[in-house]
Amino acid sequence: MASITPLARRAGRRLLSSLPALFGVVVFTFLLMRVLPGDPAVFFASGPNAGQAEIEEIRRQMGLDKPIPEQLVRYLWDIGHGKLGRSMGTGQPVVTDLANRLPASLELTFTALLLALSLALPLGIIAALRPNSAVDHAVRLLCTLGVCVPTFVSGLLFIYAFYYVLGIAPDPTGRIDIFASQPPNVTGFLLIDSALAGDWEAWWAAASQLILPACTMALFVLAPLARMTRASMLAVMTSDFIRTGDALGLSRRRVVLVYGLRNALLPVITIMGIVFSTMLGANVLVEKVFSWPGVASYALDALLASDYAPVQGFVLLMAGIFVLVNLTVDILYGLADPRISIE
Amino acid sequence: MQLTRRDLFVGGATLATAASFGTSAEAQTRAETLRQVTGNSVNTLDPTMPGSTREAFGISVNVYDRLVSFGRKRSGSGWIFDPDTITGELAERVVTSADGMTFTFHLKRDARFHDGTPVTAEDVKWSLDRHVSARSLASAQVQTGGWTRPDQFKIIDEYTVEAKVERPDRLALPNLCTLYCIVINSKLAKRHATADDPWAQEWMKTNTAGSGAYTVETFRPGEQVILRRNDAWKGGPLPFFRRVICQTIPEAATRASLIERGDADLSIDLQASDIPTLVNRGRVKLVSTPQFNAFTMIAFNTRVAPFDNVKLRQAIAAALPYQDIFKAALFERGAGLFGASWQGTPPESKFPQPLPLRTDIARARALLAEAGFPNGLDTTFSFNVGSATVSEPMAALLKESLGRIGIRVEIQKLPDAQISTLITEKKVPFLTETSIAWLPSTDYFFRNFFTGDQRWNYSSWNNAEINALTAQARYEQNAAEYDRLCKRMISILAEEVPVIMLWQPNQDAVMPPTVDGYTYQYHRQVDYRDLRRG
Repeated sequence: MASITPLARRAGRRLLSSLPALFGVVVFTFLLMRVLPGDPAVFFASGPNAGQAEIEEIRRQMGLDKPIPEQLVRYLWDIGHGKLGRSMGTGQPVVTDLANRLPASLELTFTALLLALSLALPLGIIAALRPNSAVDHAVRLLCTLGVCVPTFVSGLLFIYAFYYVLGIAPDPTGRIDIFASQPPNVTGFLLIDSALAGDWEAWWAAASQLILPACTMALFVLAPLARMTRASMLAVMTSDFIRTGDALGLSRRRVVLVYGLRNALLPVITIMGIVFSTMLGANVLVEKVFSWPGVASYALDALLASDYAPVQGFVLLMAGIFVLVNLTVDILYGLADPRISIE
Repeated sequence: MQLTRRDLFVGGATLATAASFGTSAEAQTRAETLRQVTGNSVNTLDPTMPGSTREAFGISVNVYDRLVSFGRKRSGSGWIFDPDTITGELAERVVTSADGMTFTFHLKRDARFHDGTPVTAEDVKWSLDRHVSARSLASAQVQTGGWTRPDQFKIIDEYTVEAKVERPDRLALPNLCTLYCIVINSKLAKRHATADDPWAQEWMKTNTAGSGAYTVETFRPGEQVILRRNDAWKGGPLPFFRRVICQTIPEAATRASLIERGDADLSIDLQASDIPTLVNRGRVKLVSTPQFNAFTMIAFNTRVAPFDNVKLRQAIAAALPYQDIFKAALFERGAGLFGASWQGTPPESKFPQPLPLRTDIARARALLAEAGFPNGLDTTFSFNVGSATVSEPMAALLKESLGRIGIRVEIQKLPDAQISTLITEKKVPFLTETSIAWLPSTDYFFRNFFTGDQRWNYSSWNNAEINALTAQARYEQNAAEYDRLCKRMISILAEEVPVIMLWQPNQDAVMPPTVDGYTYQYHRQVDYRDLRRG
């Protein structure tokens, strides 16, 4: 227990030291959005009779009638008070939108990452144990395929095969069957909420909606994880301590999984952190194809409409998540290899 | 507790029965549920909010009532709205005075808002006042019918309202039919009004205060809106569907498969290229209606060089391969607005109508030389990304055909927000757009699209005669004289070519064969009240 307190203190210090970076991100996105061509007020004032008066009105509502430095100060003030402005596209406060949509994205990303890891680790290990064998080539082929096929192609193929032709998957429209009852909202993660409510029908409905998009994403990130596992295992398996373990007559299983894998995990964890952050932000195509109400498709729609507040809010959220993921990765390092501390 | 195999079996059987009961109960409501899938989203429950989407308009039509609305009529195999028939929604009858300036609305006495309070003259007055005074989309629309001040609306008694315009305006009553002119439960709305927001605009974005055929059960912007039928509705015959789901599905291919597999009941925004295949497979029904109040055109910026030159515009109009563009870009899914044979004066006064535009390369070359560009010129042709499926093939053919007469075109594809900005600032020389007028009368079209400085005058056309004609036609009560004025406007347009009219795209509504009654509405959205399952 004694080691938890310094760990927490160090984590706290890390979070504090990331504040300047977050501030930089906020200011940079704020300025970038205003430099982009395209006036959101004009875009949204596209009613059949919208004239200059409507444009001015929207500009006033969005706070764009004020000079840019004043807008920035107001925006920072709002962030300080937990507000991120209002989205024109959905008509809702950005904080509400993100809070509704982030669990959807996280649920999908976590499931996909778990799926990918449960495949990539064994595949990587097997490939490393028998380099250049048929198994190794098969794994390489699978990884190459996974990374070559864009997610919207594999997603549409999955939909075509499992929904349209075979009819075993539910319609690919969001997180839960539209006719099923939604479990009461506790965490926002449907699998957890329906389990908490004991509503197994809803759990099943949510899980069956989740499986295709999660597979699509998992397939795409299989390659970096499996290849990294293989490379790092290859290096570790030729080390002295493995030879010693073998020489001491330890079981092969113990040598590979305990001494080999644990030492090979560091780079895998690093790449896992990166993969996770990328998936969360860049899975917009999967979200679009499966009508998944996540944050990435929300941000893309907002960007196309030059809707400033949601894009800024999204970037800030992603930056925050990136900080947290990096911190988690560093803590995991310590668990995988006690010689490393996060200082 | 110890689980035996028998327990598991019994448990499993119970679960299975429960599940099958669940489906049978669901199947019953499924037939009475309409599921519409769309690529766009509903962003507000108040249609007058600046920035509301078209889908939000569609929802509001079903949730709110207006005093009056347009009827519908048969057209081919489907239905279209009928701007010439005006029926009462909350008004039992409308009495128009002999001078055409005063309208007296007698309200239905048994009409109730969703919360049970009666619909009274006070609510109507408050709502109309809101539409002319609040900063909303409504005020810009209703002023095209001569409604500008609250004192035009007067309460006569609890169930009678009088509305007065200063000059007999052809569009005064049709404007009150548009979806902005909703009647709001004023007592409820006033409770949520604040000093800064006297018209409760903030509250009404996410709440409703209407009397319409449907109430809102769930509203999740960007995901779905679920409506439930208001069984106490008095605005018309009770609609068939008890429940309506309007769901956002961004991917067009997914929408198509949902309809084809019978999991969704209606989509009006599938890709034009998917539709022939879908129909050929025979599992869906297509209701295809030319959008007779819309048009796709190519516009020139007539106020700056080089397109301020009439001869140059005429040259380009003579060089375009209309039929090829129509085929490649739209798969001929619409009504062409080119290739008419009349010269001088058009045969009828309606607009849009086909104009005498024909491909004639020799004439184009001659006109180009006359215009002072014997060696051609360089220009840019712009369109928005959102319309790329249609505009891209159009742009490619345009570039090729203009290349033949020496005009070198660079194609510019811009994100929607960016091109809207450029159009409003009048910075695009040469572009294509599709636009629509809710009230399809000729003078209204010309007023909106061919006069003034607003965005909709894509060609920034400023023709003194057109300006005078539109101002005169608006208040013209004599039908023959009105026709004469309109025909004159159309001939000037055909001669001066500020825009090249291309076509009226079809609205393709795709549904399972069991869904019936789909009506093409002026707002190009679905009026769920029209639909039923056979």
